[in-house]
Amino acid sequence: MSDLKLIGFLCNWCSYAGADMAGTARMKQPGDLRVIRLPCTGRVNPLLILKAFLEGADGVLVSGCHPGDCHYNVGNYHARRRLELLQRMLPAYGIDAGRFHYTWVSASEGARWADVVSDFTKRIDSLGKIGTSGSAKAGPAVAEEPRILES
Amino acid sequence: MSEHITKIREVLAETDMVLGWTASGAGGVAAPARFHTAEEAAAAVFDSTCVHNLAVHLPRLKGRTVGIVAKACDARSIIELIAEREIDREQVRIIAVNCPAVLDVKAIWSRYGYGARVEDDGSELRVNGEMVDRKTFVQAKCANCTESKFASASASERLKLSEDFKSMSVEERREFWRDQYGRCIRCHACREACPMCYCRDVCIMQTTDPHWTGGGIDAGEAEMMQLIRVNHLAGRCTACGECERACPVGIPLMLLMEEQNRAIKEMFDYRAGIDPEAKPPLLTFDIKGDAWGDA
Repeated sequence: MSDLKLIGFLCNWCSYAGADMAGTARMKQPGDLRVIRLPCTGRVNPLLILKAFLEGADGVLVSGCHPGDCHYNVGNYHARRRLELLQRMLPAYGIDAGRFHYTWVSASEGARWADVVSDFTKRIDSLGKIGTSGSAKAGPAVAEEPRILES
Repeated sequence: MSEHITKIREVLAETDMVLGWTASGAGGVAAPARFHTAEEAAAAVFDSTCVHNLAVHLPRLKGRTVGIVAKACDARSIIELIAEREIDREQVRIIAVNCPAVLDVKAIWSRYGYGARVEDDGSELRVNGEMVDRKTFVQAKCANCTESKFASASASERLKLSEDFKSMSVEERREFWRDQYGRCIRCHACREACPMCYCRDVCIMQTTDPHWTGGGIDAGEAEMMQLIRVNHLAGRCTACGECERACPVGIPLMLLMEEQNRAIKEMFDYRAGIDPEAKPPLLTFDIKGDAWGDA
């Protein structure tokens, strides 16, 4: 495992089940993401994401049910507004907006989950550890490939 | 000025108290005051040193009928408080004043010394008896105010900072905030001065479970505290600028609020404190209209 710290906030009903499906189907995916299961993306306080960044997370991923499919009907509609606002505000806080991603993965989309997690890990890998990336002086921060979990 | 006092006395006849100003601050600048009787109201003033947003007191005076002297920017805070059902429109009497654009008293005192005598008769501004150019000391927020007669004036350093901030890279901003928050002394004046921060004793800045932010005085804790403030004011900040004015170490707290208000305007075409019937954008959603993120 590379030394990236990636945090994933997943809703219990869709994305967590989707990630579970990717696992039981033995799909290959990077193992850098630490998953935190929440009842709904509507529970994702943007401050949880910011706190994660301040505590040293290199990337934060939020995933929930597709719009229209929320177990609680409207949780992800509320989340969408909050998360989009956060996405736009991150650069003002001095955090690269590329380190945050929110998306929707249903319980049956195991393959999509594997793609989401691989793309996200790759993206953060190219950005490097937080606090070391971006500046011209620092250069590319991480060379090591993220480890692929063997089945 | 007697007209102002007469108006306050009229409102006092039908309310429990009126929030206004007297000239009792250091150097003769205005200080907020509560008037309960016609005699007390004799001391009322309104001039360009009446910088405070008195709307901050309204949530604490719930249950009483209160008159309040309000500038245009303060009125937006009152409207937002009504929109959030925090105060009852029926219990508030607004005494609107024609604002001459308020002064940056801190800037005056940093040039002429703390407590320097500030006199403003509406046309001439004098500090320690000496005529000074009003435009030099008008607050940055007033330069943006459509109600202001000085809309095109005020060559403030603060306005330049807003521009500079926009052109900074993400890394430069990280550095910038680390420097700024490093000066924070955790006095919470920004929170106390904010009319929209009315949670008081249940504020998550002082809970220990969950422990969002500790009591330590360092840049990290101070940053978390400001992120809490900014996020809790999303779609609610009326840009009165009180947080920044109240900050004793001069952290430009409005930079993030300005940025967020711009984003809110862009996303929801919404400005807080305009319509008392409006629903704040983060308390609602639009299934079809919110076309962001993945489909």
